[in-house]
Amino acid sequence: MQEMFANPAVQGAVAPFIAGLAVAALLERFRLGGLAVVAAFATAVYFIAGFTFAPLTATRKIILLGLAAPVAGIVIDFAFRPTRFGATLLALAGAAAAAWIFWPVLAQKDWARGLLLGGTAALAAAWTVGFSQTRLAGDGVRAGAAGLALGAGSGAAAILGASLTYGLYGIAVAAGSGAFLLLQMITGKRRHAGATFMLAAAVITILFAAAAMILAQLPWYAVLALALVPVAASLPVPAGAPVWLQAVLLSIYGFVVAGIACALAWQAG
Amino acid sequence: MSRKLAVGLIAAALPFTAAAAPESFTIDTYHTFPYFEVVHLGTSVIRGHFQKITGKMVLDTAAKSGTIELAVPTGTLTTGDNDKGSRPRARDEHMRSPDFFNVAEFPTMSYKGKATKFNGDAPAAVEGELTLLGVTKPLTLTMERWKCGPDPRTQGKRYFCGGNATGAFNRSDFGMKFIVGPVSDEVKLWISIEAFRD
Repeated sequence: MQEMFANPAVQGAVAPFIAGLAVAALLERFRLGGLAVVAAFATAVYFIAGFTFAPLTATRKIILLGLAAPVAGIVIDFAFRPTRFGATLLALAGAAAAAWIFWPVLAQKDWARGLLLGGTAALAAAWTVGFSQTRLAGDGVRAGAAGLALGAGSGAAAILGASLTYGLYGIAVAAGSGAFLLLQMITGKRRHAGATFMLAAAVITILFAAAAMILAQLPWYAVLALALVPVAASLPVPAGAPVWLQAVLLSIYGFVVAGIACALAWQAG
Repeated sequence: MSRKLAVGLIAAALPFTAAAAPESFTIDTYHTFPYFEVVHLGTSVIRGHFQKITGKMVLDTAAKSGTIELAVPTGTLTTGDNDKGSRPRARDEHMRSPDFFNVAEFPTMSYKGKATKFNGDAPAAVEGELTLLGVTKPLTLTMERWKCGPDPRTQGKRYFCGGNATGAFNRSDFGMKFIVGPVSDEVKLWISIEAFRD
């Protein structure tokens, strides 16, 4: 049993998927099915690193924000109406989070390199969080597809950038998003995603991609390419198509962009 | 004649005898290397080392005391696999990533210790603390082959000490938890040390 749980595939994909599916199924009736993402992510954290936060490294800061994001998401979903101003504030918070996480590392680099990497991280975080909240959070299928492609893309790109740990965290988000999406495909009904789902999925994936760029070797332009995954998930699909077909099409759109990001990462190696 | 011989022998042996006061030494970066080894998949032993190290040492053989401070730039790590070939990344690149040494965030690993046991004039054990990935934990090093004397490369103009230090720690204690099991938790250390008297 212990050997099974030490397997990276179980830690990053199988266990997170099961946790995500259970949470999505159980909490959907309370409009909290989006917590599937954080359930999957927390499962991966439990197996891979544990819930230790000292010293507060960049990785642990991302984990902390990833766990806090759905809490903020619930407040946003239940206490506020979604507005463009609110999404802008979240985007700025995403950029500020990137600065908080990476400043100690960037400060050790020469200014041009630090500016490039820090600017890319802040821009990618702001864009991914802001755009996802504005255009995807209101649609459970689009949000699920975006989370799936962002998770798989950032996971694969991080592995190509030399960090399997970050890769597993990305894949865990993909597993949780996949569970959330699968439930909608099976039942044929759109579920509520909201900031509860989208904020966690966007924050975790884009910040780990940025970490793979700053702390490992993922090229900066691959991170920017990953930030375009939510745009792909916002592309039109046949309105009358069944939910499962829309989910498949939107996931394919997302995977194409994520695949481009991974190809860029591979070529840079 | 025999008195002259005795004086000569004593004079020749002086550099090897106990020093009367604490002496400070600077690590010889060309002959001091920390090596490490882990067990891979329960079978082979994979070894690596850091190509650079700096440090200071204070030794008082009369008082049977000494201290050592070492700083290792973690980015100088090598395991002999730095060509990725058809793989996404080489092992050395992976070892420098946040999965293991996280060199971008923690560019330096350090050790500070005090000699606590002596075998004659030679330190036999050093008890200290290793700081790795921002975590500081106790680490005891066992000293072997310790010897001090005039450096033959400078016809005795410089005085130096040298030996080997060995120790072991669990990497998970320092937060390096990536695939503990397939890659052993226990890391064995083997450090060759040479230092010149200041």
